Amino acid sequence: MLRMSRAGLADRWTLFVGALLSVTLGVALVQSSLLLLISAATSSLEDGDAAVAMLGIMLGGATFLAGFIISSTFAFTVDQRRRDLALLRLVGGSRSQVRRLLLGEALLLGLGGAALGVPAGLVVMDVQEWLMHRFEFVPEGFTGQWRMWILGVSVGTGLLLAIAGVLVAAHRAARVRPLEALRETGPAARVMTAGRWIAGLLFFGGALALMIVAPHGGPAGGQAMAMNVAMPAAVAVVAFAPLLVPLLARLMPFGGGVLGSLARANVRDARRRSASVAAPLIVLVALVVGNTGAGTTFTTSGIAEVARSTRADLVVQGRVPAGFTDGTVSTELSLPGEITTGQGEDQETEAISVLVVDPAAYSAVHTTPVAVRGKAVVAGPGGDVPTSGTVHVRLPQGDLGELPVVGAVPATMSGGANLLLPPGLVPEAQLASASAVSYVALKPGADPAAVRTALARFGPVTSVGDWLKSDAAARNDINQKVLLMVLGLGALYALIGVVNAIVIGAATRRREFAEARVTGLTRGQVVRAALLEAYAVTGAGLLLGALAAASALIAAVATTSAVTGTATLDLPWTLIGVTALVALTVTGLTSLITSWSATRRAPVTLLAARE
Amino acid sequence: MTTTLILSQAAVALHGVSRVFGRGPSAVHAVDDVTLEFPRGGWTAVMGPSGSGKSTLLHCAAGLERVDTGRVMLGDTDLSAATDSQLTALRRTRIGFVFQSFNLIGSLTAEQNVALPLRLAGKRPSRSVVRATLDAVGLADRARHRPRELSGGQQQRVAIARAMVTRPEVLFADEPTGALDSTAARTVLDLMRAMADAGQSIVMVTHDPGAAARADAVIFLRDGRVVDRLSGADTRQVADRLAAWEH
Repeated sequence: MLRMSRAGLADRWTLFVGALLSVTLGVALVQSSLLLLISAATSSLEDGDAAVAMLGIMLGGATFLAGFIISSTFAFTVDQRRRDLALLRLVGGSRSQVRRLLLGEALLLGLGGAALGVPAGLVVMDVQEWLMHRFEFVPEGFTGQWRMWILGVSVGTGLLLAIAGVLVAAHRAARVRPLEALRETGPAARVMTAGRWIAGLLFFGGALALMIVAPHGGPAGGQAMAMNVAMPAAVAVVAFAPLLVPLLARLMPFGGGVLGSLARANVRDARRRSASVAAPLIVLVALVVGNTGAGTTFTTSGIAEVARSTRADLVVQGRVPAGFTDGTVSTELSLPGEITTGQGEDQETEAISVLVVDPAAYSAVHTTPVAVRGKAVVAGPGGDVPTSGTVHVRLPQGDLGELPVVGAVPATMSGGANLLLPPGLVPEAQLASASAVSYVALKPGADPAAVRTALARFGPVTSVGDWLKSDAAARNDINQKVLLMVLGLGALYALIGVVNAIVIGAATRRREFAEARVTGLTRGQVVRAALLEAYAVTGAGLLLGALAAASALIAAVATTSAVTGTATLDLPWTLIGVTALVALTVTGLTSLITSWSATRRAPVTLLAARE
Repeated sequence: MTTTLILSQAAVALHGVSRVFGRGPSAVHAVDDVTLEFPRGGWTAVMGPSGSGKSTLLHCAAGLERVDTGRVMLGDTDLSAATDSQLTALRRTRIGFVFQSFNLIGSLTAEQNVALPLRLAGKRPSRSVVRATLDAVGLADRARHRPRELSGGQQQRVAIARAMVTRPEVLFADEPTGALDSTAARTVLDLMRAMADAGQSIVMVTHDPGAAARADAVIFLRDGRVVDRLSGADTRQVADRLAAWEH
């Protein structure tokens, strides 16, 4: 069987290039992320948490996407090779032998992917290192260390990815009937299988549940849930793609004439192929638009929420002394800290940020009552701490001991300090290292320019609007960078998937193209019809991706409305435009190149030559 | 009903076999209550107009197509009651196929294609057996060629060698000369005639009276039913009879 697998791979290598590329990239990314992760975790990095978290997400993302692309590639190649597989059954191959044949192919692909992936992993590690330095996840001088055992891990990763990817396809292939070998085209296999229905409904249910629960999850939980809607929604839409893609693709403007109607007929007829091309596009758009759209929506909503509740005109990055009389000043001093809550086994310690405030001024500027003095604290807008009982607070230079929580300000979308402390609790010496921000509300009739000049002595002065924007941006910085790297990775995989599907499709369409040409179409017309078809399917894929993305956006808007009282939507239009443009360019170019090369030989030689 | 005696004489016997495609008013009775025996050690040709059910009959007789009613007996094995794995085992040992479109596996050489059924059966085919089988179809010198490097006639002869390597009880052939030029077709028919003379049971569907005339007997099908049969007829007689049934 392994020999047949090898011969099959060698003969139909174009069908497997994409799968090999996916395994290679998967192995390379897993190897590189793992090496960097181990290096970051074992080194004494000051702020290693973000780097470790980012690498962890990369590791998971790379595995998931490689598995997804490999399994969809195999599913598609099995469909395109039904005749071959049926032929094997015809000459006495059993179902388990067909399964073993495909598993053998996967085994070889896995080994090949590992062999290419190990050296590619070194290149990927250089790129990842550069990105991590660039995004300031790690300090200069940090490098990933090579470990010998990673070779075993990489080979194992390659095999596991490939074999896990082929399991479903192999099961499906084993059910191919021998008689299908005798049909020239054959009735297309049922595309909407029971498995597709079940997976589609299951993931649809998951996405729907997240959408419904997200608005009730509070600022942090709601954001986390909304950011996780796009993935299950995309999987659900992909599962139903064989039904949805041809339906939508036929509505695309094909233009009139014979080429338009030919392309439209092809889209209708080749549901499986259309769905395979559209699937990675759906994932791409859902991930990019859904997640970044939800992200920008939350940021905008957070800024708007704070802006609505802040009664201040200017912000000084420094301490404005109490004697300043041209307005109300709330000087807020921020310190990192640690709190311990609970008793005995339930005891939990976590890092927080504390803010030392003047309660009266804070209440006036942030329009939320804060009453605290002496030895007590108030839960801040960042949430994450108990709103009653006692907490044990530790600051870098001193232990404040057990303190009662006597109140809470509402948690906000954009977060902030976890605890508010009254003045006098922290010794002045410790406050010297705190970063200070002063909100200034001008007295009626005061001259803003003059006050601004007066305030400039204490630190840089900005308008409150600009300050809120830059503050939110700084707070989301790490998340945005992680998102960017993971989305970049996802986009790369999705594009490989698209190219892959088109290449496989065209490789098996030589005969169809030849038939069209002997019917009277020129080579250019065949290529143009294929291009039209590719565009229609791409359009459908983009629309369906937008549908999956919309579910994430709906969850985001509902969450902003529940948390801040105002529904907000802010879409990254440039990114959406670029995504659509890249998708159209990649599918268009791939279709052109593959259909041009598939029509290279004279049609009559293709039609005369049979297997 | 048929007696046990006849069962043991026939290579393949069909008893009241029907196969219907589709449902309701659009249902097509591809095979309609056919009772028929293909004799052991004989070459039977099945002819009929397009859509007469020739291919479906062959597929049913070979256990490739499920029958709706009736029984199909290969020797004393009931194909209509066999499970998928039993049918798989039969294809490896007792049934051989040859088709119009050769159906060789493109990635394997002629030799590997011929050895495939034995290897699928878990046997380690000796090179000499495979070479001898290829030699019998006159292609010993093409053993290492891939299908695409062979002419149509040569590919069909490789397909015959592949079907014969397991020494099957019955060889089923569906339009084996349908895609060949007349010279290549004659070579293939000569080969099949020699096999039949050596005692091989062959069931062949064809629309070519010249090919059918090389068989021992010809059965005519129309609308899924057996309507006529001829023995030892020449090309002209077969063609005349076929023309009569096509009107």
